[in-house]
This record gives sequence, structure tokens and C-alpha cells, in this order.
Amino acid sequence: MKAETPRADPASAAGEPASPPAGKNRPLWLHLVGLPGVTAVAVLSAMVLPIPLAVILALFTASLAAWSAAALASRIRTSEQERCSLDAQLVQSQKLAAIGEMSAGIAHEINNPMAIIAQESDWMTHLMSQPQVTPENLAELRDSLAEIVRQVDRCKAITHNLLNFSRKMDPILQQEHLERIMEDMVLLVEKEAKLQGVSIVRDYDPELAAIQTDVPLLRQVVLNLLLNAFQAIPGQGTITVSTRPAGADRVAIAVADTGAGILPENMSKIFNPFFTTKPPGVGTGLGLSMCHGIVDRLGGAITVESEPGRGAKFTVTLPR
Amino acid sequence: MPDPIRVLVVDDEDRFRTTLVKLLGAQGLFAEAASGGEQALALLAEKPFDVVLLDVKMPGESGQEVLPRIKAVAPGVEVLILTGHASVDIAAEMIAGGAADYLLKPCPLDELVGCVRAVYDRRKAVGAG
Repeated sequence: MKAETPRADPASAAGEPASPPAGKNRPLWLHLVGLPGVTAVAVLSAMVLPIPLAVILALFTASLAAWSAAALASRIRTSEQERCSLDAQLVQSQKLAAIGEMSAGIAHEINNPMAIIAQESDWMTHLMSQPQVTPENLAELRDSLAEIVRQVDRCKAITHNLLNFSRKMDPILQQEHLERIMEDMVLLVEKEAKLQGVSIVRDYDPELAAIQTDVPLLRQVVLNLLLNAFQAIPGQGTITVSTRPAGADRVAIAVADTGAGILPENMSKIFNPFFTTKPPGVGTGLGLSMCHGIVDRLGGAITVESEPGRGAKFTVTLPR
Repeated sequence: MPDPIRVLVVDDEDRFRTTLVKLLGAQGLFAEAASGGEQALALLAEKPFDVVLLDVKMPGESGQEVLPRIKAVAPGVEVLILTGHASVDIAAEMIAGGAADYLLKPCPLDELVGCVRAVYDRRKAVGAG
């Protein structure tokens, strides 16, 4: 199973096609069958007719051919314009669907910590309305205050991630080896991974030349993919990181894990903002969508392959 | 003194459900909590509850999936949806599936308690009638 960058369902997004313009319904057989037929009759007739009549017939057939060609060209132009218009409608529908989905995600992620903040405030009000403030009540008040601070931090993390997500940064390109970028991030997570029983296998192509890319942005992608792979492995397992050429003018990096894999119904949503299967407070669902946004800015593409129960492999292809 | 209304809070947010249980208790209601669908169904099979406050987006079974199972285990219980997931479609679907009402987090405590009392009174009135 392989999923490209998620897209909205074109069938539902495109809406009703525009009605054809007047004159477009003229039957196509007139051009495809009628014209060759008339030409064939004219050629056969020219063999038996006197020359003046054959010339008149040839001129008539040529005029017919010119008219047919002009009509067909006009029809192709109209179809092309309609296709462009439908493409624009489709893009617009996809944008609206993405905004709707993102709004619902933001609402859910922010409403939950806000609900906890509201409850803690209510509980503090209740405690403070008691005739006496006991040491137990005071400890509970402190605990509630600490919880409010934790939930505010949770909201802050969401809004800051969103700001990073939406910030338009032009990539600053510099020459660097992919192996070096990968290895920097692998070393960051490897210690913790080992403690959890997860080993990291390197499969770098030593022949791969350095590429022109935005190193900090690509590091962020690699780190997100590594953390995602690490969190997808419930117990012991392996993460394989690799680099290889991908055709003449592109290179590929891949992060594969032996974790739980991705359910088929989740494959198309995996890069959507706020899509997560992690417990509340653990994942905001922004990591992979940020990876997708960064890779897009770097002129690359990100794909995922997975079978449930047999891990997942994320591949990023980039220009050299 | 009437029996306190028995409320079961089903939510995967640990802090949310523990504080809500304390707040409902302070309002004179009897409340217990479950972290997900399976635990809620086990509690409902074990003891009677009047009202279930059910979250929608939970790991494992969602609120939408748990609702018909709650209705099968405890047909008389009233289910109030209490979620941060704002979707009119889900609200309509769950009310059609037997939920009494749909409340959006963060919901003011007096509004939540008022709603719990209202569905409880309605249930009692229907039962008496």
C-alpha cells in the first residue's frame, strides 16, 4: 500500500460540471466520419469526372476540411478552458475542505485544555468558598494552579506549532551531505531509543554526493520522522534510516520502522494537520503535516508505505 | 432528601475526568469516571447510573461507537455528549442514535449540572408517566 500526499476526494470536491456552451453539442461524427467519407467520394469521383468538375469538387472538399479543422480546434480550446476552470474549482474545494478539517482540529486541541482550565478554576473557587482553608485544601489549590499552568503550556505549544506551520520561510540553500544531516538527528534520538529497546540501523549510500538544501529545515523533517517512527514502536523494534539516489536529478532519504503500521483508512489522512492516533497531550498531529509542508518548500515529495502490523516507511525525495 | 443523581464521566483526559468527578460531587451528585468505552461498559453492567457524560474523540472506540453499546447494556441511562470536537454532523448523528443532548467543552459547570438535572428529571417524568 502506498499513499501520496493526501488530497480531497476529487469526485466530491469538483462539484457539478458547468453546462456546455451552445453549439458544443454538434455531433463529432460529422468531423470523424463525414469528412473522410466526403473526401473518399470526391477522390473516387475525380477519377471519372471531367477536370473542371474534379477541380470544383477538390476545392469544395478542401473548404470542408478547413472548416472541420477550425471547428475541431475551437472545440479543443473550449474543452481546455473548461478543464482549467474545473481544476481551479477543485483546488478551491480542496482548500476549503482542508481549512474546515484544520479548524475542527484546532477547536478540539484547544477546547480540551480550556475545559480543564475552567474546571480547575471552578474547583479553586469551591475550595476558597469553604469556611476554613485547611492544609489539604491549600495543597489542592497549589495543584490546581500548577495544572492550569500545564494546560496553558499545552495551548501555547499548539499555537506556536501552528505559527511555525504557517510561517512562510524561503529556504536558505547550502551544500551538505544527506548522511550528515540524517546522522546528526539519529544521534539525538539513539540514546533514548536504545533505552527503550529500539535499535537504529544505518543504510547510507556512501557514493551519494552532497546536495543543495536548507539544512535546518531538512533536519526538522528527519527528526520528526525519527520521533514518529520511535513512537510507532510499542516495545522492542528497529528503525532503518537510508539514503540513495532517486533518478538522475533527485535523491531520497527514508525512515522505516517495525512498529504497528498505519491502518488503510488512515493512510490518506496521515499528513493532514491535527490527525493523530496518539493519546491526548502526547501528539498534536502537526509533526507529519509540518514535514509535508517543509518538503514541499524544498521542492521535494514525501510518501508513506505501510501494512498494518508490519511497520511503516516514509520516503522523502529531494532535488540534488 | 432525594437520592443523588448517579453520573458516569467517560473521558480519556485523566485530569478532566478526575476534577469533574470532584466538582459534580461538590454539587451533590454522585459521580464516577471511566477512561474509555470498555471501562464504562463494565461499570454500567456492574451498577446503575442515571446519566453518562460521554466524550467523542477517544483512543480505541470513539463516543459514536460506544453510544449504541451503552444503550444496549443500560437502555434506561441518559447519555449527554460532552466533547471538544465541534461537529454539527456528529452531534446530529449521536442525538439520532439516542443521546439526550450535545455539550461543547469548555462547558460552564452550572450549565452542565443544569443539563444533567434536566435530562434526569425528564427521565423520571417519562418513567412515572
